[in-house]
Amino acid sequence: METHAIPGARFVDPTVLVRIKDLDLVARSVVDGFINGLHRAPHFGASIDFAEHRGYVPGDDIRRVDWKLYARTDRYFVKQYEADTNANMSVLFDISRSMAFASEGVSKLQYGSILAACLTYLSHKQRDRVGIITFDEDIVTYVPPSAKHFNVVLQTLDRSRAERPGRLLAVLEKAAEHFKRRSIVALISDLYENPSDLIEALKPYRFLGNDLIVFHVLDPAEVEFPYRQASRFEDLESGEEVPVVPEVFAEQYRRMMREHIETISTKCADLRIDYVQLTTVQPLDEALFSYLGNRERLMRVR
Amino acid sequence: MSFLAPLFFVGLAAVAIPVLVHLIQRERKDVVAFPSLMFLRRIPYQSVERRRIHNWLLLALRVAAMALVVAAFTRPFFEGDPLRAAAVTSGAREVVILLDRSASMAYGDHWKRAQDEALKVVRSLGGADQATLVLFGTATEEAVRATSDKGRLESAIAAATVSSDGTRYAPALRWAQSLLARSELPRKEAVLISDFQRSGWERQEDIHLPEGATLAAVSVATPDWANLSVASAAFDRGSFSGEERVTVTAGLTNRSASPVTVPVTLEIDGRVLDTRRVTVAANASGSATFPPFTVAVPSLRGSIRAGSDALAADNVFHFALSPSRPVSILIVQAEGADRRSSEFLTTALSFGASPPFRAEVLPPSRVTAASLERRSVVILHNATWLATEADAALRRFVEQGGGLLVVLADRTPWNGPEFPLLAGRPGNPVDRLGMGGGTLGFLDYSHPILDEFKDPRNGNFSNIRFLKYRALSPAQGDRVLARFDDGGVAMAERAVGAGRAITFTSPLDDTWNDFPKQALFLPLLHEMMRYLAKYEEPVTWHTVGRVLDISVPLAALVREGSAGDTAAGPRKATGIVMTPGGAQQTIGEGGAPSIALAEQGFYAVRIQGMGERRPFQVAVNLDPTESDLAALPPQEFAKTVAGRAATAPGQSLEHPELTPADIEKKQSTWWFLFLAGLAAMVSEAVVANRLSKRFGKGLR
Repeated sequence: METHAIPGARFVDPTVLVRIKDLDLVARSVVDGFINGLHRAPHFGASIDFAEHRGYVPGDDIRRVDWKLYARTDRYFVKQYEADTNANMSVLFDISRSMAFASEGVSKLQYGSILAACLTYLSHKQRDRVGIITFDEDIVTYVPPSAKHFNVVLQTLDRSRAERPGRLLAVLEKAAEHFKRRSIVALISDLYENPSDLIEALKPYRFLGNDLIVFHVLDPAEVEFPYRQASRFEDLESGEEVPVVPEVFAEQYRRMMREHIETISTKCADLRIDYVQLTTVQPLDEALFSYLGNRERLMRVR
Repeated sequence: MSFLAPLFFVGLAAVAIPVLVHLIQRERKDVVAFPSLMFLRRIPYQSVERRRIHNWLLLALRVAAMALVVAAFTRPFFEGDPLRAAAVTSGAREVVILLDRSASMAYGDHWKRAQDEALKVVRSLGGADQATLVLFGTATEEAVRATSDKGRLESAIAAATVSSDGTRYAPALRWAQSLLARSELPRKEAVLISDFQRSGWERQEDIHLPEGATLAAVSVATPDWANLSVASAAFDRGSFSGEERVTVTAGLTNRSASPVTVPVTLEIDGRVLDTRRVTVAANASGSATFPPFTVAVPSLRGSIRAGSDALAADNVFHFALSPSRPVSILIVQAEGADRRSSEFLTTALSFGASPPFRAEVLPPSRVTAASLERRSVVILHNATWLATEADAALRRFVEQGGGLLVVLADRTPWNGPEFPLLAGRPGNPVDRLGMGGGTLGFLDYSHPILDEFKDPRNGNFSNIRFLKYRALSPAQGDRVLARFDDGGVAMAERAVGAGRAITFTSPLDDTWNDFPKQALFLPLLHEMMRYLAKYEEPVTWHTVGRVLDISVPLAALVREGSAGDTAAGPRKATGIVMTPGGAQQTIGEGGAPSIALAEQGFYAVRIQGMGERRPFQVAVNLDPTESDLAALPPQEFAKTVAGRAATAPGQSLEHPELTPADIEKKQSTWWFLFLAGLAAMVSEAVVANRLSKRFGKGLR
């Protein structure tokens, strides 16, 4: 394994960054902040970009009264500007035992780590505050978002080991308490839960005004189920074993998996949650590029 | 189609193995780890589906591989294959006719029948066939090399005669093996025509005729044979009225089922001395002892004849006798020397019976050419050089094969003219008194004289003290046999013509050393005398096949004391050999180095320069095993020859009936089946590997 001055920096693949560094990561919702940046603030305030006028109410700063409009209309209006600010960016990273599965060399955990590193790096370059929560059956590490926490996030990713079974729903419920401020939340998981329960667990994030992106990371073997030999299959999470005759099971399994993905995708769309399904053989830069491209287009429409 | 080993078909049961493997498809023992069984748990498990064959190609390859290998083991062959028939019965033949001409073939009409059988083979040859005629006994001779010319073959067979040789089949068969291996003709046959004497074959002979070659064993043996032979002769020497008399006892062997009474005659130099009637019991040995006769001259020719039967050659036994005379030694000691000085030598030489020695002591002044007559060895013991004439005679004596021992001491001149018989140039005496005497530090035990003393138990030379010795500088070519502990030469040898000259650098008395008083003196002196006199136990007869060279008659001359009798001639001896058949041959200088004693009878050797002296006689008799006509069954013999197929006696040689094993071997179908089986296995490996790669998860 290569060593770097910054632990975890190996996940920041330069080829990925070359492809996406020109894109603006535009947060869906504007988060309050102090530093002028590329993100549009959720509240109108001091900025160079004019937004709209509103009626003057006592207490408003009279310096913001639009006197020219008063001359024309003889009524007091205050000018409002869209303020650029920095955003909170948090990654919710599932490191339960099922994420250790790898059929083709790259495990879901490794793939997810690279993805998380890329996302936080991009955010960090935009002076966003970055944080991470890794979890399995409970929260393993909580790194609150901060402009100085990029290296800590990378270290956390580097130390992540898939050693315990996972309880996604319970942890999502618990982790929601940490998001007091509106943030961009990226959930990276294999999402082995009932889609309805999962959406229920994600709703609080949306209601708190967070911009939620779900990265559904799967191994190709989980999607295509290429097994031929009758064997006993062991659940990585629970250790339970069942006899499986792939010839008979394969088709049904693929259908179930397809339905599972479609259900989650649909329900996420309903809740205005971005959903991206990735397999570990998929080039990461391509996935990010297409996703960020979509996000940018969405922002323009808005 | 037939099978040589049909029992191997039981192995076809193994074909079921891949089928069962494909049907059963047992669950793999290693468990497949999977992220979540969330979906799999919901699907009902059905085992009935496992009875399906999953990969027909793989199954077919596995079954084919098994079946082909099993089929190869059954050794199939096609009996009615026209191609095979054509290959077997057509095509030119390479025939090697091995015709036994050993002495035993002279029995009755064996030789005539053998010739007829050989002629029959020749006549059976087709236009494109080739035949080689090989005559063999102990030795093997290719009479006619691979030819289609029947005339040449027939005349060679007609011209061939029985030899005096013994019988050895192996060299002849190896010859045939080599000829057939080189032949490019499609059919290869060896025909062995013999009386199949059991004694000519050793079981451990490992002979393999080339692939596809056949051996036809044609026997001319007589089932009820009877033979009387003179197998040996014993000689008892005694003396009567100063003459040596010899009593001859002949050993007779009767190999027949009935007793035989025959007249046994002793002939000496062609004269019948005596005849005895002897009865020898059935399958037993007997003897005939003749009255003693006087052996007055060397190389007497003697023969014992015992009746006559179907094998006449072994009814006669030859021998050559010479009077056993002592080795005559002339000791020359310095003028006026003390009588005691040679006493040790004469005393030591007075002992000994094999051979007995007879020594005479003379001063140099009395030595003449006549003094050397009938001498085997001359010892110059601390003597001055001889007179010119005697010196020349001595030189001639040594060159003709006589032995000379020169013992150096104070009287031996040190600065005189060069003495060519001395192994080096003598120097001043070396005094070892100061050191308490020297010892022998090096001995060349590889020399025949010292060979007996190699074993430390046979004596210790280091006990001998030498207080003085004469220095000697050996010339190039001289062989140093012993050195003193200070490096000085103690004993050296020079080869002079056919003779040998040894120089000892300290006197053989008790003045300069204590050697004569040591136990080793007598045996060493006797060994030296035997060596210088070229003494060997006289051999009265030889067996056919031995080799004769010039050293044998020369040694006899030296032994008899006739080495100095020859006129001054070439440095190396030459002999003219007259064979029993009347042929003349030269051996020694200018002739062949040796000749083989191939004929029964007397070989007469005349050494050039020996005048009218009786020629040296070498008696040669048949190998006694030739008298034993017990025969091997030809079939058993042919089987013994590395299991090769053979024809029965009388069976057609032109179209020998092939056994199934022969046909199968010719077709070698199993080989193709085996290769096909291997190919199926390789294909199975490739297919299985590809499937494994394609469905890596399942096959892992």
